[in-house]
Amino acid sequence: MIAAPGQTVALVVFGASALGFGVAVFRTKSMVRSALALLGSMSAVGGLFLALETEFLGVLQLMMMATEMTIMAIFMVMFMMDPGGLGQMDMTHQKRAAVTAGVVGGLIAVALSALPSWAAVVVAAPAPSVQLHDLGIELMSRSMLIFETAGLAILVAMIVATTIALAEKQP
Amino acid sequence: MIASLLAIIGPLAALTLIVACRRTPAVFALGGALVVFGGAVGGLIDASAGGHASLAFAGMPDLPLRLQHDSLTAILSLTVATVALLVFVYAVGYMQAEPDKVRFFAEMSFFAAAMQGVVLAGDWILLLACWELIGLASYLLIGFWYERPLVPVAATRAFLTTRGADLGLYVAVFALVSTAGTSEVGQSVAANTGQFAIGMLLLLAAMGKSAQVPFHGWLQDAMLGPTPVSALLHSATLVAAGVILLIRSAPLFSAPMLTAVAAIGGLTILVTGVTALAQPDLKRMLAASTSSQLGFMLIGVGAGSPIAALVHLVAHAAMKAALFLGAGIFQHALDSTVFAELRGVGRAYPRVFILFALAGLALAGVPPLAGFWSKDPIEAATMESPLGAFLFPLALVGLLLTGAYVARALRLLWQGSAQRRPVPGMAWMLVGLAGVSLLATFLGPALVPTAQFVGGRLPTNVSSQLLGFGTAVLGLLAGWSGFTDRLAAPIASPAARGFRVGDGWIDVAVRPALALARAADRLDLSLYDTSVSAGRIGLGLATGPLARADALVERLVLAVGSDGLLLARASRRFDEVDLDGLIGQLVRATQLLGERVRRLQTGFVSRELLLAASGAAVILVLALAAR
Amino acid sequence: MSPLVLALLVGAGLFGIGLYGALSQTNLVMIMMGIELMLGGALVNLVAFWRYLHPDVYSGQVFVLVVMTAMAVEMAVGFAVGIARFRARGSVEMEEAVDLKG
Repeated sequence: MIAAPGQTVALVVFGASALGFGVAVFRTKSMVRSALALLGSMSAVGGLFLALETEFLGVLQLMMMATEMTIMAIFMVMFMMDPGGLGQMDMTHQKRAAVTAGVVGGLIAVALSALPSWAAVVVAAPAPSVQLHDLGIELMSRSMLIFETAGLAILVAMIVATTIALAEKQP
Repeated sequence: MIASLLAIIGPLAALTLIVACRRTPAVFALGGALVVFGGAVGGLIDASAGGHASLAFAGMPDLPLRLQHDSLTAILSLTVATVALLVFVYAVGYMQAEPDKVRFFAEMSFFAAAMQGVVLAGDWILLLACWELIGLASYLLIGFWYERPLVPVAATRAFLTTRGADLGLYVAVFALVSTAGTSEVGQSVAANTGQFAIGMLLLLAAMGKSAQVPFHGWLQDAMLGPTPVSALLHSATLVAAGVILLIRSAPLFSAPMLTAVAAIGGLTILVTGVTALAQPDLKRMLAASTSSQLGFMLIGVGAGSPIAALVHLVAHAAMKAALFLGAGIFQHALDSTVFAELRGVGRAYPRVFILFALAGLALAGVPPLAGFWSKDPIEAATMESPLGAFLFPLALVGLLLTGAYVARALRLLWQGSAQRRPVPGMAWMLVGLAGVSLLATFLGPALVPTAQFVGGRLPTNVSSQLLGFGTAVLGLLAGWSGFTDRLAAPIASPAARGFRVGDGWIDVAVRPALALARAADRLDLSLYDTSVSAGRIGLGLATGPLARADALVERLVLAVGSDGLLLARASRRFDEVDLDGLIGQLVRATQLLGERVRRLQTGFVSRELLLAASGAAVILVLALAAR
Repeated sequence: MSPLVLALLVGAGLFGIGLYGALSQTNLVMIMMGIELMLGGALVNLVAFWRYLHPDVYSGQVFVLVVMTAMAVEMAVGFAVGIARFRARGSVEMEEAVDLKG
């Protein structure tokens, strides 16, 4: 149980850092730094989850993101021309359009967030053990199909990825 | 009954034989007349034995034709038959010089049969038929010498006048039969007693046939026929048919109707009596006298005593026939009937004149001649009737007039001198004249038994007898002395014309009818002309204009053909140039569009990502708007 | 400003940044980073909605799990494709990947 004001503060802190790191992803020329910034952003999001008393999801997020960003950084190094970003080439294109799209999309999202009158905020969240238990029950009963499909999708993805990534057999 | 049948069949057989053999017509006609006479006598014997028979034979459904045989019909039948026989005998002599004897005797026999039919008829249908037949016979006989001037007009006038008045009989018969349900005369009359309309219609028919005022003109003109015809038809029989009708339907008449009958009779007596006084022609005077005497009979019926009228009818038949036969002899002697030309003919033919004078005096009512015995009951009846105050003086005036014109005629015929010439057929004529004249003389005493035989009472009154005799003598003296001539001089001319107004019936009926006929004829002709010219136009159309139309049609067909070719060429051009061009343009447009759209496919991932983002945004907006 | 709205704003901001990045970058991996950021924003929104509006219904958390799964799968396949491309062309620059030009 986190008290409401503390929760809000934590929310603001983690949110701001997520946003900051997100901007940093695209401002830096270094690939590695982009990847690390992304990691920071995702971690901030995970911290946000924790602040919102969804412990399981927060932990999950942190674990997954950490792994993913690491792999991404490795890939950067493997395939980039200039992973360090030491070259001065501008690696963006259609900047104007992208900015416009980003701004417009963001504004729409902001409007959709702020304008509607949301229902009253629920103050108390269930205890983590209760959440865990209920989430498990939910997954196993009502959302079983979704769970299974997700598992199948992951399996397929693993197979696909492996297949694509395998080097062609040299005669 | 068989005897009565003979009375009709006899002359019909004679007619057939005359027409078939066309030889010796006089013999057959006389034979027929004898048969009629025999039949009538036999019928009288039958009736006196107490027979009241009737013979019915098929007619209209539920309305059989009947021949009735009782005392009344027997008397009438005998009267008609006797006069007919004597006139036929006379006619043999009269028509000796006539070339067309066949036609004459055939028509006379036809008349004799039809008249017997009228007398013996027991139902209305047969009576009506025979009534019309005697009218037809009258027309044929009056117009016997149709080539002579004025004769056809006279015959037509007689026919139309009587035919017109016969409408009354038609309507009356219809009414009688429909109300009584039977056409038998006695029953239907008994069932309709007091019906004013029917009575008046019957009176109308009687007025027509009996030449009463205002229908009296035709009898005057009918004198243009041969004298036997005048003697038989227009003195004794046909004109008496009206009175016979009234006598037989007498039970139907109520007091007001009888008043009307008597009024008509009285008027006729006066008008025609005065006419007779002023007539310059012997036969026309006798015709006026006939009308007057028939007026007497009507007064008799109107005074309530049909028996008196019957008795006078019988006597008058003999008297008037005798007068006419005598006049006929004079006519043959001097070839004229005008008094001015007949002066002194009496002196030239004394025997004829004596017979003529006897009949004339009888007519005037001098006892012991028949006229006295027959006129007196009528005067007595008028004294007894409720209208006596009017009718008796009228009857006396009638007597006066009768005496006057008879005496006048006798004077005119006697005074002067004429040459005696042999008249062909004199013997026959004398015999006939003698027969009727003797009857006129000696019939008197038989009249009372006759009345009793028929079953009625003959009114007698001593005062009326005396007054009647006195008046008759007075009238004779006045006529002989010429007093009445001077009196009648102012009205002589209109009287001579029978007091006709303008042209009489010619103005009222004949001229409008002829005008209508002429107009119809014109209409007919114009319609015919119209249809003929329409036909001609049709024909014209068929020939001239048709050829032109043909050429026109040919040109039209060719024009259609060339227009068709034109259309075909235009269509092809349209197809090749326009449609193909259109399609080509469509194709090019599509290609152009394809080129433009192709540029979207840049292959740039980023570009495609941008497009995806934009599309997503659009979908989002739409989804939100839908909510 | 309710905490819900604050969280939603964070999510909106992440989404916008991610969209900019996905459209402006030439490198495949960078594009994938932008997509990751967008998905992260979606996750933030989901969790905020679950926590503040419907904490008793766990469909929100299931949704979050599904999105995470999708992120992982997408990254795996994406990198596999990148490897294959690199092997084929020697680079993963998107500007050169115009083989599908019509």
